[in-house]
Amino acid sequence: MANPKVAFYWCASCGGCEEAVVDLNETVLKVTEAVDIVLWPVALDFKYKDVEAMADGEITVAFINGAIRLDEQQEIAALLRRKSQLVVAFGACAHMGGIPALANFKDRESILSRVYSEVPTVVNPDRIVPQTESVCGRHKLELPGFWDKVCRLDEVIPVDYYLPGCPPMPDTIVNAVMAILEGKLPARGTVLSPNRNMCKECSRLPKKPEKITLSRFVRPYEAVVPDDECFLAHGVVCMGPATRSGCGERCLKGNMPCRGCYGPCDETPDQGAAMLSALSTLIDGTDASATERIAGSFDDIAGTVYRFSASGSLAYKGALLPKGGTK
Amino acid sequence: MSGFKPKIVGFLCNWCSYAGADSAGNRKMTYPAEFEVVRIMCSGRADPQLVLKAFSEGADGVAVFGCHPGDCHYKEGNYKAFTRYHLLRKLLPDLGIPAERLRLEWISASEAGRFVEAVKEFHARLVAMGPLHANKKDREAGNG
Amino acid sequence: MAPTALFLCECGPNIGERLRIGDLAAAAAGWEGVKLVARHPLLCSAEGRQYVEEELRKSGCDRAVFGACSPKEHEKTFRGCMAAACANPFMMQMVNLREQCAWTTDDVAEATHKGIDLLRAGARRVLAQEPLEQKKIDAESTVLVVGAGVAGMEAALTLAQKGRQVYVVEKQPCVGGFANRLAEVCPGMECGSCMLEPKLDRLLHSDNIKVLTYTEIDEVLGYYGNFKVKLRTRPRHVDPGNCFGCDECVKACPVTNVRNEYTDGMNTRRAIYFAYPGALPNLPVIDHESCLRFKGQECTACAAACPFQAIDYKQEEVVTEISVGAVVLATGFRPFDVSRVPGLGHGRIPEVYSSIEFEHMLNTSGPTGGEIRRKDGTAPKSIAFVHCAGSLSAEYNDYCSGTCCTNTMKLLHLAHKKLPDAALTDVHGELVYPGKGQVDLAREVAKEGVQFLRTADPNRVTVTASGKGCKLVVPAVNGSGKATTIEADMVVLAAGMEPGTDTVRLASMLGVTTDRFGFYKEGHNRLGAVETNIIGVQIAGCGRGPADIQGSVVQGGAAAGRILSALVPGEKLELEAAVASADEDVCGGCKMCIAVCPYKAITTDPAKGVAVVNAALCQGCGTCAATCPSGAMQARHFTNMALFAEIGGLIR
Repeated sequence: MANPKVAFYWCASCGGCEEAVVDLNETVLKVTEAVDIVLWPVALDFKYKDVEAMADGEITVAFINGAIRLDEQQEIAALLRRKSQLVVAFGACAHMGGIPALANFKDRESILSRVYSEVPTVVNPDRIVPQTESVCGRHKLELPGFWDKVCRLDEVIPVDYYLPGCPPMPDTIVNAVMAILEGKLPARGTVLSPNRNMCKECSRLPKKPEKITLSRFVRPYEAVVPDDECFLAHGVVCMGPATRSGCGERCLKGNMPCRGCYGPCDETPDQGAAMLSALSTLIDGTDASATERIAGSFDDIAGTVYRFSASGSLAYKGALLPKGGTK
Repeated sequence: MSGFKPKIVGFLCNWCSYAGADSAGNRKMTYPAEFEVVRIMCSGRADPQLVLKAFSEGADGVAVFGCHPGDCHYKEGNYKAFTRYHLLRKLLPDLGIPAERLRLEWISASEAGRFVEAVKEFHARLVAMGPLHANKKDREAGNG
Repeated sequence: MAPTALFLCECGPNIGERLRIGDLAAAAAGWEGVKLVARHPLLCSAEGRQYVEEELRKSGCDRAVFGACSPKEHEKTFRGCMAAACANPFMMQMVNLREQCAWTTDDVAEATHKGIDLLRAGARRVLAQEPLEQKKIDAESTVLVVGAGVAGMEAALTLAQKGRQVYVVEKQPCVGGFANRLAEVCPGMECGSCMLEPKLDRLLHSDNIKVLTYTEIDEVLGYYGNFKVKLRTRPRHVDPGNCFGCDECVKACPVTNVRNEYTDGMNTRRAIYFAYPGALPNLPVIDHESCLRFKGQECTACAAACPFQAIDYKQEEVVTEISVGAVVLATGFRPFDVSRVPGLGHGRIPEVYSSIEFEHMLNTSGPTGGEIRRKDGTAPKSIAFVHCAGSLSAEYNDYCSGTCCTNTMKLLHLAHKKLPDAALTDVHGELVYPGKGQVDLAREVAKEGVQFLRTADPNRVTVTASGKGCKLVVPAVNGSGKATTIEADMVVLAAGMEPGTDTVRLASMLGVTTDRFGFYKEGHNRLGAVETNIIGVQIAGCGRGPADIQGSVVQGGAAAGRILSALVPGEKLELEAAVASADEDVCGGCKMCIAVCPYKAITTDPAKGVAVVNAALCQGCGTCAATCPSGAMQARHFTNMALFAEIGGLIR
């Protein structure tokens, strides 16, 4: 009986998810023994045409990380979808846009202009920006088109499961891979990490006061928070309450607030909006001028509450929906 | 932009503003038909997810109407709506939605006139601002 | 597939002639889940309701949409229809096609288009709705009344009349509160204790009322219908079964110089004492702080003098635990301490008195035997009364107590009766006489030769000692801009009302909010004056704000009325069905919901570490659900998914 075929592919990503696979250390050898990897651009020399040559559904599972912003990423995602029985959105970028999706707070024109013209070290007086087609002598060069917005993987292909995290922690990955190989999977569309927020596991919960009233929001460097006290009580925004658990609280144990990379729980599909709602209750609304001032002290709201989930915001039609997968 | 009819979703609290809207209807006071209401028990229920959902579904403007501070039927819900509103205002522009497209008003059950005025004012503002393009176009696959 | 029955009401011409119902019906027929579309000329009529019930039964639909008038008009009606047809009453959505659609535009096409939008939103929402159960819990119908002043007394008597069992707890050793001490009550000039005697007698002797004096509340646990209260009764050291109130023990007590708190220190009392002459119950009490025996010395003077063996040194503190269904807080007021306004001289200048002290003087069983006397025993030849000491002042209490003006007129009138030749002056800022008949006394007083001086703020009057009396400088008199100086042998400062000393402690114990002045905060300023934010806890009397005797009595009765109709012996309490609930498999215990609940309905389950909503306290506002950042807390009937569905259906 042949080993199941597995593909790893990266879209708009940093490479950290590839690292995460390697971070399985010895376990990765067990995985590679149990499967046949048929595509893994960062590590192996398989080509797209090798995948195109396969029969539909020949690949058991494709793990696709990274967000979608280029034509090529969409094309290969679609290709892998055709050729795979299961597609797993691997990591925060594929799940909800991740860090690349912060670009959604700007627009395409200003991004291209900034990168190719305005950056002080760039000399580009003719303001040339990348084109999908350009001619250079006898050669025609093609580049994949650059989209207006950064999309999640499930906006371009149907996705079966989500492995959350930036990157997903080794336990999360191993549990998911084993479940797939053993055929013990939950309902399609499930995010493969517990549907409960971080606070239950957080060692800072016992000392967290029931009522917190802030006089201002602060950045992490502005507060010295003892390692058994809740960040929110000190005015440091911790995304823990709006983030599902399963990561082992690495950041919290490193004395940094959670930044939300595992994404929201099922019933609150918009992680940023959900956290914003909770944070607003830390301000005393009976004092109108204080409310404005305290709201004003919150720097970069969007970047903080949507750090990893900007493509999942309900502000955009077709946002991430709970259970049952895609729209 | 003549002919543009902005779609407005209003979240009205059951005890004050919804009753105020009913009262306006009782008196046959007219206002733009594009103002459509979702009834909630308290303005404190109007969380940002609902507001964003309304924008994403095609609203050009979203209104949250609640009881006057101090008069909330559930004591403090409207204060929560107030703080949420302030944080949401700061967030919306980054999501491509000008802050003026979200409106918070305190309207009591007896203020039919105020209700109609607030709706008309908001409507006029939105007509002047034009449609919220970012949400008229689906974020479909494909470049712009 | 969830079958929905969609009903459209023409409401006569109200909807039928202002939009095209046919278009709505045609559109609805194609919507997901809609099995039946039915229109009717008047759904809320008896015939209409029967039609609804029949159609629901015939169609087998388990949910319905009603496109009709405002839910505030007929949601209950149609819930009733659902229940009658054996469908769950919460599996329905009312769409407001009248007050918020047909009636808001004269353009039929626009109204139709809007009607379709609203209807579609309702049809989508009803698919996401879930059946809800109206739960009932067992409830106590016994009531705890805290405070035995006029408000508490009225509450207790009203409740007891209809067979309710009432506990009345009073921290002082006597009942009747402040009103029972008044020599004369304006405007009728009745004697306070005479007026109250019949009611106090019934209070103390009713089979249904248990009065516990010298008792305070230690702890309150539980909630509406099921409060568990711990009471602590201090020992009087007097056996109520044997004592006849003959006063022999008091006469025998060797400790004679204890500051009498009941006359604000205007005279002294003994270590064993009756609070004041005529105090009820007619039993003395031993004060541990001043009694020689309880300070370690051997003294049995009172026991020896008692002809009925009624003294019991061995009496201990008694802790009682009671179960009650509701609580009435009637803990009264504390008079403003006028010595806090330094310029008015109380506490510094011997002949400056508070209105309370002046009342003590007027009492025939008081420190001066009912005569108006200065500290040297002589009668004053001139008295100046100054209104609003500490009232209507941002520095002290920025409100009007509404009773001191009329009360001061009473004091002026009595002063004139007792000292017809004395020169009386009234210094005021505003004069208010709210209520029928209250101004009559003021008119009388004016005829009695009182000099009235109006000044912008009586708190700016300066009082200095002048010989054995006082000199008052009254600024800007009668709008003139010029100050007037008057001499007076005695000055009386009208003190307003502040919350009683236990208000903060009791409020905190019960979770009741207090207002910016420290009084118990009423549920709604206009419509909920005897309610609080905690269901099952009522407030009455001066603890919730300055009031006169009439007002306090009315409030006591109102508080009782609320409880009489809500807590009926043998009946279970019906709880709000559309409450919030936390999914214990999802909740991470972050506690952010707990802080936002104004009813203290949410707690953390100690074993599971998750949020738990007490459905008996939850009022269904949904603020906690909006706050929950993980979606564990949902507002039943107004869940995220239900509202998303409705929003999704609205706009096309």
